[in-house]
Amino acid sequence: MVPPAQSQRSPSPSQPSGKGEVSDLKMQLRQLAGSRAPGTDDSKRDLFKKVISYMTIGIDVSSVFSEMVMCSATSDIVLKKMCYLYVGNYAKYNPDLALLTINFLQRDCKDEDPMIRGLALRSLGSLRVPNLVEYLVGPLGAGLKDGNSYVRMVAAVGVLKLYHISASTCFDADFPALLKHLLLNDPDAQVVANCLSALQEIWGQEASSSEEAAREREALISKPIIYYLLNRIKEFSEWAQCTVLELVSKYAPPDSNEIFDIMNLLEDRLQHANGAVVLATIKLFLQLTLSMTDVHQQVYERIKAPLLTLVSSGSPEQSYAVLSHLHLLVMRAPMLFASDYKHLYCQYNEPFYVKKLKLEMLTAVANESNTYEIVTELCEYAANVDIPIARESIRAVGKIALEQYDVNAIVDRLLQFLEMEKDYVTAETLVLVKDLLRKYPQWSHDCIAVIGNISSNNVQEPKAKAALIWMLGEYAQDMQDAPYALEGLIDDWEDETSPEVRLHLLTAVMKCFFRRPPETQKALGSALAAGLADMHQDVHDRALFYYRLLQHNISVANSVVNPTKQAVSVFADTQSSEIKDRIFDEFNSLSVLYQKPCYMFTDKEHQGPFAFSEELGNLSIGVDDQRVEANEEDLLLSTTRKEDSLPQQTQGALLVSLDQNEPAAAHAQQTNSVIDDLFGLGLSSSPSPSSLLKLNAKAVLDPTTFQQKWRQLPVSTSQEGSISPQGVAAMTTPQALVRHMQVHYIHCIASGGQAPNFKLFFFAQKADEPSNFLVECIINTSTSKAHIKIKADDESASQAFSALFQSALSKFGMA
Amino acid sequence: MDRNTEHGWIYTGARVDWNWQRVAFLGNMVDAFRLHIMQTKELGMCPVRQIGGCSFFYMRISNVYIVIVVSSNANVACAFKFVVEAVNLFKSYFGGAFDEDAIRNNFVLIYELLDEIMDFGYPQNLSPEILKLYITQEGVRSPFSSKPTDKPVPNATLQVTGAVGWRREGLVYKKNEVFLDIVESVNLLMSSKGSILRCDVTGKVLMKCFLSGMPDLKLGLNDKIGLEKESEIKSRPTKSGKTIELDDVTFHQCVNLTRFNSEKTVSFVPPDGEFELMKYRITEGVNLPFRVLPTIKELGRTRMEVNVKVKSVFGAKMFALGVVIKVPVPKQTAKTSVQVTSGRAKYNASMDCLMWKIRKFPGQTESTLSAEVELISTIAEKKSWTRPPIQMEFQVPMFTASGLRVRFLKVWERSGYNTVEWVRYITKAGSYEIRC
Repeated sequence: MVPPAQSQRSPSPSQPSGKGEVSDLKMQLRQLAGSRAPGTDDSKRDLFKKVISYMTIGIDVSSVFSEMVMCSATSDIVLKKMCYLYVGNYAKYNPDLALLTINFLQRDCKDEDPMIRGLALRSLGSLRVPNLVEYLVGPLGAGLKDGNSYVRMVAAVGVLKLYHISASTCFDADFPALLKHLLLNDPDAQVVANCLSALQEIWGQEASSSEEAAREREALISKPIIYYLLNRIKEFSEWAQCTVLELVSKYAPPDSNEIFDIMNLLEDRLQHANGAVVLATIKLFLQLTLSMTDVHQQVYERIKAPLLTLVSSGSPEQSYAVLSHLHLLVMRAPMLFASDYKHLYCQYNEPFYVKKLKLEMLTAVANESNTYEIVTELCEYAANVDIPIARESIRAVGKIALEQYDVNAIVDRLLQFLEMEKDYVTAETLVLVKDLLRKYPQWSHDCIAVIGNISSNNVQEPKAKAALIWMLGEYAQDMQDAPYALEGLIDDWEDETSPEVRLHLLTAVMKCFFRRPPETQKALGSALAAGLADMHQDVHDRALFYYRLLQHNISVANSVVNPTKQAVSVFADTQSSEIKDRIFDEFNSLSVLYQKPCYMFTDKEHQGPFAFSEELGNLSIGVDDQRVEANEEDLLLSTTRKEDSLPQQTQGALLVSLDQNEPAAAHAQQTNSVIDDLFGLGLSSSPSPSSLLKLNAKAVLDPTTFQQKWRQLPVSTSQEGSISPQGVAAMTTPQALVRHMQVHYIHCIASGGQAPNFKLFFFAQKADEPSNFLVECIINTSTSKAHIKIKADDESASQAFSALFQSALSKFGMA
Repeated sequence: MDRNTEHGWIYTGARVDWNWQRVAFLGNMVDAFRLHIMQTKELGMCPVRQIGGCSFFYMRISNVYIVIVVSSNANVACAFKFVVEAVNLFKSYFGGAFDEDAIRNNFVLIYELLDEIMDFGYPQNLSPEILKLYITQEGVRSPFSSKPTDKPVPNATLQVTGAVGWRREGLVYKKNEVFLDIVESVNLLMSSKGSILRCDVTGKVLMKCFLSGMPDLKLGLNDKIGLEKESEIKSRPTKSGKTIELDDVTFHQCVNLTRFNSEKTVSFVPPDGEFELMKYRITEGVNLPFRVLPTIKELGRTRMEVNVKVKSVFGAKMFALGVVIKVPVPKQTAKTSVQVTSGRAKYNASMDCLMWKIRKFPGQTESTLSAEVELISTIAEKKSWTRPPIQMEFQVPMFTASGLRVRFLKVWERSGYNTVEWVRYITKAGSYEIRC
């Protein structure tokens, strides 16, 4: 609630500088402490306000603690509250002084005014001083039995606070049982709701360690309790209703009659003004009917209207939260929303994140009957001034085309995009046309006629350029100028920065050569020469591979470069259905907005502890990369599974199947390790020059262990290293280096900083034994120096590792 | 916002404010938020972001950011709704305004309120009606008297959790009055060919009640389901006249939803003062108040002719207020000459549009704008101009785009007093876009 006084922020000029004022305050407070003159409370109020305002802006006012306590003897409730607030904030740092406050708080817990009893009890619970919990037990017990519901309501949450300070004290006093009693018997709904929240949290946390707790947690979703809560649903506040509905959604009714009873009882909740209640009800309905396909579908129909209303009302943030849920449902059952596509049209001024969701939904709901309208609408957005949206729209059109409805008309439109002559539109369209041709080779005739007219000078984006080059190679016989266009591109080889494009160029010129040898021969020669001299490892290797292949046997080379291709039937889905189901189970939570299940962003191992990053200063945890890698792995697996009927021979061919587009070099570098691992190709591409030490490609180490080890182990090597000028240039963000090192099986655990200073933490593991190397690497890009500290489980290997690390580092940017 | 306003941020972090281990990096969170969200200055940034291990939900209201920080898989819809309700509560305490100054002047009160509306991360009572009973800035001002004060403070705690949480007993008004406003906003997206791509109305029924005792209110509208149900009950045919089909309705918690579902009447015990009784949405049979007919001709590369005709199609006795029509022009506009038949129009360079304002626009009339636009010729850009849509703002009093009407509003109270009922209608433009 309040930034603590300890924060180091220097107050801005308009704010009091602190010291002097605080001691003034101290004096004034002391004078007032004993005074009983009329008007004292007014002056106290002014002083208290000052103290609180200093506290709020981050000035340390803990030194007036004893004076504040002395002044706390008052019947003025506003004064009391300010005093409670102050005490709650500083008690932790002044445990001895906090003891002083116990006395008056305990006295207030027995005040005749229930308001004061409640406030005192709440403050008592917020002291957070473990030694003082014994003083909390008595008032809490009394509070739970208080005649006034306000006090009971505060006491119920108080139990939860106590549990978090000292779980054992909480159980010793048998508070959970008392809470359960109140849950089932209290006449006041808010008390019941607070008991429920507290019990859910307590048993939820205990369940993993104690069987009894697990039983208790199950008991909360037993029929009697669920029915009891449902029957009182209308008494609960809107927030408590959300809690109850969430709980009920975990209950599995034994038969369908019960399901219908519950749904009938709660149907009117869909008309509640609070969107959170409506969403909670929707979740419950969806969960209840999961096993009944027909009813489940009816539920979709029923919830459509309330969802659309929620999307169109309320603040943009609220409607975004709802829209994300609508997105999830639309993705699950697009056909049920096919007739509502008009609701998904974008408004001109909507922010990007909303438009993006809407575009995805529009893509999903397209079917035979509405494709025409949807594509027309999407084409409007393609002309949008907002470039990211224009790009998304074009991709959406492409996706719909790949879904087979009325491809003919859509291809026409895509080709019209090319006529708009805007670079980004052309770029996106080229990529799409390429994908389209891979799925519908029969359209090649129309497309090629248009593509042939595009000058490669107007295409700059690597992806688009690669797509264009792919088409030049693939359809060399249909395009008059193909060999000459390729020749022109090869002449500019030196200026081509993207290795992906260079790789495509090599392959395309090979293909072209087999189709139109006399015209291409010269180009092929210069391409191979340029490729062999290329600095990039993959480009060089491929050039060499082609060269030797041609030397070996021309017809074999032809069959490698120009195999008969089957049209791609399905493009790999990026998210597995299992993950999608997980997200659906977590409906009405953050998971839906992030579009990933909660373990991916809340579990410690996936997330990297905040405390760790805090210790290391402003560092971000390199987890994102690991996650990306994991996804790519999924992608690879599913693609290979889908297409393994195709003839595959080499690693290169595998990549072809991934992207059907001859080798997708961009991926190659990152995924090499994964592929090697998957197919047991060994360490053929092992980057390590020293064969003495082999590293584990898939080493894992969680941040906590890292942190522990880092503390325990001595520094075994500390060195200065240097980075190549290219490396310095590539080091715009630490991520670039993180990716580079990963190729060398050195994994990043945390990285941060801004140019010119970066700080990264790496780890690596021996391939054959679980022996770790930990590295702290501080890089200064202005001096091109890296300071490296290495700690190792096995100190004898640290020299070898250090050499390996340095050689990996020195290669950074050489790609 | 500059540094000075830092304390203007309110943290209602689930738990963050309490759990001391985590409080230590609240300061860090402020920094993280500033670094990642405020300083990026990217417009249209997603309001839910993950930074470090925490998720930040934020809303910007006037010049104040309200941030919720969670480390668990929280219920986002609930959190945003909570913030909206909390801001409403603050507004009702501050007398309408919620901005930096209001926060600066009221921070003690804000602490008090935060204490009551959320305990340990769990929302408690947010109803202004009830909170105002016991959170007052006056407090109890009699230090020497030990007797309880006249203020109904002890009673208030009963109310805090009472069954009719939205209304307290024993209210007395000299003059019993009810004000009912139907406020509709009409959204339109029209293609350049004049066909309607998307059109709907979202409406609200707002009420202000100054009624004594515990009155029962019953509201009848000319919506289809309600009327059919009524004629079914009274077994006589529906009177001729327009009936409206509501796509979806939501109600304030005071409305008896069971009764709405069985009898289709809206009956309720209203809270005291102002509240939103219901919200609805309509997509069928929308009466568009304005038709816009644009023609834009690009004459060569440096000249354009713009003609926009606007027709009002509501009743001749009615009129629209505050009509603003934004006609887009290209960025490289150099000079414009504009003629309008009513109102005033001029070129707005910062928004790249011709801003045409008409203070009062009578029904069944039309008005035109004709303009010549000269452009700076640019060599590099030969691509054609992508035209944003024409956007329109207006308010039409006594008109509902849905056609919804109040048929009756009955007030019943034990003491049987007379009430005065006031009903108003107004239709505003939501997002009213015409492509050209």
